[in-house]
Amino acid sequence: MYMYLPIALTSVNYLLVVGLGLAVGLLSGLFGVGGGFLMTPLLMMIGIPPTIAAATDANQIVAASASGTFSHWRLGNVDVKMGILLTIGGFVGGAAGVQVIKMLRAAGGADFLIKMTYVIMLGLVGTFMFFESLNALRKQKQGASKAAPKSEKKGGFFAALPMQTHFEKSGVTHSALVPLVLGVFVGVLAAIMGVGGGFIMVPVMIYMLRMPMHVVVGTGLFQVLFTCIEVTFLQAYSNHTVDFFLAILLLLGSVFGAQIGTVLGKKLHGDQLKILLAIIVLAVTVKIVLELVLEPSILLSYAGGH
Amino acid sequence: MKQTLMRVVKQWAAVAVAAVTLIAAPEAVQALTCEVSPTRVPITLSYHGAKLTITGQSAVNDELVLKISTPPADTEMKYKGKAGGLFWMKKGSLEFKGVPMVYLVNSTAKLDLILAEAERQQYQLGYDAMAKTARVEDSTGQPAEGKWFDEFIRFKEQEMVYSIQEGTITRKHGEKGNTFEAVVNWPYQAQPGVYDVEVFAVNGGKVVGKAHTSFEVERAGIIATLSSMAVEQAALYGIMAVVIAMVVGFGVGVIFKKGGSH
Repeated sequence: MYMYLPIALTSVNYLLVVGLGLAVGLLSGLFGVGGGFLMTPLLMMIGIPPTIAAATDANQIVAASASGTFSHWRLGNVDVKMGILLTIGGFVGGAAGVQVIKMLRAAGGADFLIKMTYVIMLGLVGTFMFFESLNALRKQKQGASKAAPKSEKKGGFFAALPMQTHFEKSGVTHSALVPLVLGVFVGVLAAIMGVGGGFIMVPVMIYMLRMPMHVVVGTGLFQVLFTCIEVTFLQAYSNHTVDFFLAILLLLGSVFGAQIGTVLGKKLHGDQLKILLAIIVLAVTVKIVLELVLEPSILLSYAGGH
Repeated sequence: MKQTLMRVVKQWAAVAVAAVTLIAAPEAVQALTCEVSPTRVPITLSYHGAKLTITGQSAVNDELVLKISTPPADTEMKYKGKAGGLFWMKKGSLEFKGVPMVYLVNSTAKLDLILAEAERQQYQLGYDAMAKTARVEDSTGQPAEGKWFDEFIRFKEQEMVYSIQEGTITRKHGEKGNTFEAVVNWPYQAQPGVYDVEVFAVNGGKVVGKAHTSFEVERAGIIATLSSMAVEQAALYGIMAVVIAMVVGFGVGVIFKKGGSH
């Protein structure tokens, strides 16, 4: 039942860890997010030091998103061109975000700002998605078989940008600069909050790039895959914080979870997927707010990856 | 002649009796000893802590205290406090100076009943004694509030690496003299390293005897291989972690595709 982890230097119940992987992998396959915003706190709860939890989770997501990207690619749901542009933007933004964090840490009060960014971003994204998809579902119910298709608003500013290009899989036309800049923006936020950023990237693709939900999920996984390959390697190389055994246990669960999620996702309508994701994001927000307001049972923790 | 012989025999007999009495008298001869088993605790893949048995001999009238610990060192901790009067979050770091990483104490009776305060202080037995030696400083080097030491003990106890269990050493009086035994559940949270085992014989509120041994907790097999590879061949380790994750991910994707298409 128990397995010792060579880097985390602690012993865990392996059935529990595989189960965690399965649950988070399911979400990953359904929504195109890595699930780091759920997994890292869960790993910390079972005694994994925070730095090792975050780095190892990135390694695990490589497997889950490889598995999910592959199945979505077979279904024709991956917009490779869009994915590459977002990924490049994300890399640049991530590097910039790390510098921002260093400056904030030096100035003091960084943790407060990070937590507030987290809560506000999650709260806004969750609330917006929830009501938007609720409205869409209501309209559908009202029966109008030809519900007015979203009039493709050609934003004057977006359309005026140079390097206009058509994204075939997504069926949209944007300047190549748009996904690049949005990628940078998400990368900065993700680095500040210490997460992969899938749950911000997904709403950005839906609402700002106007991509269809199923392509959003496939492309999201594609982008997450490349981000997590980079993060895993860098963490292993410079910080020695990737626990290989912990990653194996997690990914044994998550790759199957991701497959089940993909199959399940095919059976759900895009708006149903959105409202489910919105509920999960809101639940995480509430949990973080409670953690901030309620007095913790233990006020101390080891500094750094002990 | 016969009488002289009888006298010599009697004298020798007296000496012999005296010698036997001397050997049988435990207070006079029986020294404090201690042994730990096992002396090497290997951390293998299935490691989930260990059972340590500490045995030895002691004088019949002495109380016993057993301490398993590391030498005092400095530990940096992050602490949480209220920010803006509403939110709990990490506010800064505290330096705990002169505290052991591991501190497990067992005894035959309550420490403050069998040992005078000065003795507990000298041999660092009990949290009170540790509190007086340890120092807690904030990041500017100023002494921090007293509550942080108590909080530190609570943290370490929750981590299972600190504990004080009084009345847990069992004793036997048999043919082998007076022996004692303590069974300690060694926590898997304790890091690899060498740990000191000390047994103190206590009488009249004072420490009257000491015995010492040690054991080593070390990584073995695949655990040792991987943890050294992660540091010494970090690039290779990182590539291996990524490649295996991708192979497993794509592999399972292919299997599911085949299964699903039918």
